[in-house]
Amino acid sequence: MNMQEIKENLITHVKANFPEAAEKEFDGNRLDFNVDKQCIPSILTYLKDRLGYIHLSHIACVDWLEEGEFEIIFIVWSPEEKMKVFIRTRIDREKPVMPNIDMIWRQANTYERELREMFGVEFIGLEAPDEFLLEDWGGPPPMRRDFDTEAYADDTFWHRPGREDALDVREEIIRRSREEIPDFAKKYSR
Amino acid sequence: MESIWYKILGAIITVIVAFIVGLTYMGLSRKITARIQNRKGPPFYQNFIDALKLASKTSAIHHGFMQHIGPAFMMITSIMSVLVVPVLTGDQWFSNLNFKGDLIFLLYIMVFGPLGMALGAGQTGNPNSAIGVTRGLSQMVGFEIPWVMALVALMMQYKTASIVDLINIQQEQGVWLMFSSPFAFIAAVLAMLGMFRYSPFDIVGAPTELASGPVSENGGKYLFTLMSSNSIFAFAKLTLYVDLFLGGASNIVELLIKTFAIYLIPMLYGTVSPRYRTEQAIKYFWGWPLFFGFLALLYAAIF
Amino acid sequence: MINDKNSQKIVDIIQNWSRKHSIWVLAYGTGCGAIEIPPTMTSRYDAERLGVRGAATPRQADVLLITGYLTTKTLKRVIRVYEQMQDPKYVIGFGSCTINGGMYYDSYNTIKVLDKYLPVDVYINGCMPRPEAVLAGFGKLQQLIAEGKANGATKYKENLEWYRGNQKKIIPNWVMPEYNW
Repeated sequence: MNMQEIKENLITHVKANFPEAAEKEFDGNRLDFNVDKQCIPSILTYLKDRLGYIHLSHIACVDWLEEGEFEIIFIVWSPEEKMKVFIRTRIDREKPVMPNIDMIWRQANTYERELREMFGVEFIGLEAPDEFLLEDWGGPPPMRRDFDTEAYADDTFWHRPGREDALDVREEIIRRSREEIPDFAKKYSR
Repeated sequence: MESIWYKILGAIITVIVAFIVGLTYMGLSRKITARIQNRKGPPFYQNFIDALKLASKTSAIHHGFMQHIGPAFMMITSIMSVLVVPVLTGDQWFSNLNFKGDLIFLLYIMVFGPLGMALGAGQTGNPNSAIGVTRGLSQMVGFEIPWVMALVALMMQYKTASIVDLINIQQEQGVWLMFSSPFAFIAAVLAMLGMFRYSPFDIVGAPTELASGPVSENGGKYLFTLMSSNSIFAFAKLTLYVDLFLGGASNIVELLIKTFAIYLIPMLYGTVSPRYRTEQAIKYFWGWPLFFGFLALLYAAIF
Repeated sequence: MINDKNSQKIVDIIQNWSRKHSIWVLAYGTGCGAIEIPPTMTSRYDAERLGVRGAATPRQADVLLITGYLTTKTLKRVIRVYEQMQDPKYVIGFGSCTINGGMYYDSYNTIKVLDKYLPVDVYINGCMPRPEAVLAGFGKLQQLIAEGKANGATKYKENLEWYRGNQKKIIPNWVMPEYNW
């Protein structure tokens, strides 16, 4: 079966059980589905048990600041048909709550801990110790787009003041590229 | 009466010479290893500079009395071994404080040092030291067996337990013991690879293995003591091999040439071989070296 | 025994000569600059001819190489490692992240200036510095040791309150054992 037949087969199977899933096709071996938040555990279990998508590749999060939503993406992969499927949901940005899929794949524990720490997404029923990447962190979740890291860095850390005879980098590069190269460096120049 | 004074003075000079020669050999081994790896290595007196630097550290941190005493046990073992082995034969100055039956005495004394180190490493409370010590002692179980079998075969064949008698037998026979009891020589050389703790049996003290095993909490002056005792002990073992199998030495130049020739064997084998785990090392020692030890015992019983 | 200034000077010359030619570096790569250490120590740009070799534990090492950036999580561990080393000890700052923050100047997690938390003797700049630059840095450290000016450790002991104040401001959860010099 070639790629197009696999995709159509998949779309008919998924739509028969989950009629609200909106699909989107891409070139190559990728297929997207947009679903509701409550269907996530059942559609992932269906893909894993019945259709052979047994490998969870990643759980990612996109911050749509203007629309006020987070978008959580689950990427699953089937080694027999060599097809990757993206399952996308949208959740509210003020109070982000998601169901926990720890019991389907065990490695989802690590991905959910990272999302909880970096974006502030709460997973119901996730049992894991609190600190993962950031130690003794008291500020807002750092990967959100409205967290200004430069202002935070200027606030907390002391910067070394610049030199009085500082040169501008771009002007220096332009000036030096017109200089004569000495003989021993000629074999390194482009 | 005067011969005792000669011997005591000779023994003190022997310890100093063992220290200098041992450190030079270790530095030379680093230089030769570097040249094999196609780079220039450190100068051959590099280990003296290391020893001076360690001795001039201004603070010595230790975790209790036993760790303070641990390196001293190793030093005592090394100096006792050097004092018993006869260095130059037929010389009234440098034949050291040996006596009849000293071969059996040496077999016991050479095991005592690492036990002292184990006591010292145990008090630090560092789990790396404890694991390193168990590895070292279990590896010692491996190489002690072919070594003891080779020596027992020698003792049975020539019906003596004193090193000076064995040297005299070699001079009477005119041929070295290396050729007249070959299986004992092969078993002893294979056991020597484990004694010197070069590759492939350096799992105990290598810097990448468990943060260097038993020495991981010793720094500064303790490390200086351990390095010096290592070099003195190496000189004692090399001289023992020369006396037993290569016919002894009658002047200092011949001694240096013969010990360096024996020292090349574990060093050059170490540059080309990777490291064994502890159970692989013990399995190796209870394979071919044990077989050659049995052959040596049979050869000694029949002839 | 004579104990005046001239004999102390001779002892200092001999001790500095031996410390200069045998430097043991702690094998601990704290940041991404540590990828330039294996080429320096192996066959092509041989660092062993200067006497530099790797040491396994902080109790045996002389020099702590801070290679690259330091997050606050690593800084807590590095301070503990630095205080376990035995005198005389030196710190080399490797790469431009130790000088002014380098590539991560606007990051919420890394420290920008190393000199406020640990006393640094020699800086080697570059991102990453090439092995020839690393060897030149060791040469500069040797020169400082021979003149007797590489005393970052005594500076740390004298100004301990200032360093501790800076460290505690950055690291809120301070868990460190008592000191035993």
